[in-house]
Amino acid sequence: MNTRTRKKLGHIAFVCVITLLAALYIYPIYLMVINSMKPFKEVLTNVLGLPTKLALENYAYVIEKMDYFRLFLNNVVITIIGIAGIVVFSSMAAYVLDRRQTKCTRLIHTLIITPMLIPFQTIMITLLKFMNTIHLNGTTWGLGIQYWGFGIPMATFIYFNFMKSIPREIDESAMIDSATTFQTYGMIIFPLLKTVTATVVVLDVMWIWNDFLLPLLMVNSSPSSKTLVLAAYNFVGSLNTKWHYALAAMVLAVLPSVVVFILLQRYIVEGVVAGAVKG
Amino acid sequence: MKRKAMSRTERKALADTLVFTLPAVVMVILAMYIPFVMSGYYSLTEWNGISRNPVFIGLENFKTIFSSGSPEFIRALIFTFKYSALFILFSNVLALALAVALTQRFRLANFLRGVFFVPYIMSMTIVGFIWKFIFTQGFEKLYEITGWGFWNYSWLGDGGLAFYSLVLVGVWQSLGFYIVLYIAGLQAIPTDILEAASIDGASAGKRFFSVVLPMLGPSITTCIFMSLTNSLKVFDIILALTKGGPGGATYSATLDIYREAFQNNNYGLGSAKAIVFFVIVLVLTQVVLRFFESREVEQ
Repeated sequence: MNTRTRKKLGHIAFVCVITLLAALYIYPIYLMVINSMKPFKEVLTNVLGLPTKLALENYAYVIEKMDYFRLFLNNVVITIIGIAGIVVFSSMAAYVLDRRQTKCTRLIHTLIITPMLIPFQTIMITLLKFMNTIHLNGTTWGLGIQYWGFGIPMATFIYFNFMKSIPREIDESAMIDSATTFQTYGMIIFPLLKTVTATVVVLDVMWIWNDFLLPLLMVNSSPSSKTLVLAAYNFVGSLNTKWHYALAAMVLAVLPSVVVFILLQRYIVEGVVAGAVKG
Repeated sequence: MKRKAMSRTERKALADTLVFTLPAVVMVILAMYIPFVMSGYYSLTEWNGISRNPVFIGLENFKTIFSSGSPEFIRALIFTFKYSALFILFSNVLALALAVALTQRFRLANFLRGVFFVPYIMSMTIVGFIWKFIFTQGFEKLYEITGWGFWNYSWLGDGGLAFYSLVLVGVWQSLGFYIVLYIAGLQAIPTDILEAASIDGASAGKRFFSVVLPMLGPSITTCIFMSLTNSLKVFDIILALTKGGPGGATYSATLDIYREAFQNNNYGLGSAKAIVFFVIVLVLTQVVLRFFESREVEQ
């Protein structure tokens, strides 16, 4: 064998090994999916094989029992409220904090971004009590609003770092045309923030959509406001060994994220990388 | 004292600053600062969450934590440190190795990057349940087929093994995240430097350790930092997989804080633990960040 064929064979072996590794890596997900479509007995006797007959009634049962579409809608409402507030308030704050560098704005900047250092679990006990007091717990919109405060520090930090790259001449020329600060922000600056807004949206959608602890604290006792993951947690916990239903519920709980990921893979990975590097 | 009257434009500028930052400031104060200050206060009290007024007891709760009065918190902290150490080690080493493999040129590379990323977009709670199914039903079947005793171990029922199971699941869930960060770092290394090293006769291994690794400094710092902060706060997967069991062997610091407050109804002691946890996280992350930043090579 000459070196060229040896190199080529080595390459083929490498591709085989890495592909096999990847297959092994998602094997647990594959097992979840195929077993969610089996009748109860078959899950226990034939875990690794394909279903002999599709038991889609598992899904019908779970969708009805969990009130799946209601939960899905709750998640959408909470995520949209959360994201809208985080994006608008953070970009607004970052805009003036970058453009007017005074003692006062530097103080506000520190005030807004410092809470990035506080782990959520440090404040969860008193947060529950306080949110009770101001009536923001127990509802989907209240939960959505709570995410503003937790998401704003990081989002402001990311927007603030990006704002420097937008030349000041742009807003100065708008001001000469006697636009107010608000008009300049809304019509000129905000559209220029598109890429960084995409980063913030990707990071925060992944976080809010899948978040568990905050919904557990805030809406666990109000059935109509539960989130998908929280309801799936309770549902699976109550099923004990009825894995056929549990697995169907689990598939339904992760399905929206997986579909979105397949459609928007490039943007999601880019957003996650950008967020981690800037954050 | 000389005081300049504010001009109209100055006043307008100040008004704009306040209007634009007010929503952000108010929301952050409501969600973070007020609960944080309250935690500080409650940590100095004894309070069961039901009685009207917490009783002020000074530093008693902190004495309880650090004396023998609360062995479970110290145990949970040790568990958390051990978990974090293994999590950081495995997620970074494996992610870097896979990132190097997935930046080679082959047709499936892009698709496989997506495959490794999939668990990261799933909720950790559901990931915990998936593995609960694998550890119980899946492993049982594999034992039947292969007869290897290894599959038949009590992966969640034995305290020592459950620890490693949790590390495995934690790493499995987030490995894709660290892979894409390392890939981004690897792609930022200028190819001419690697070519120069090749021409100088450096082997692939030598190129990796003397050229690639030092140039990955910022990526390594980011990944170590992220894996540290994420693993110190581990919560969801434990609740889904072991609920802290067996026999309290897998309580993390955060899960112990949760138990103290919401199950034992000791809000005061729970708050004190939360404050101790905050200080530990702050000190550890800052020390680690400084250390790795100081080791990065100038570029």
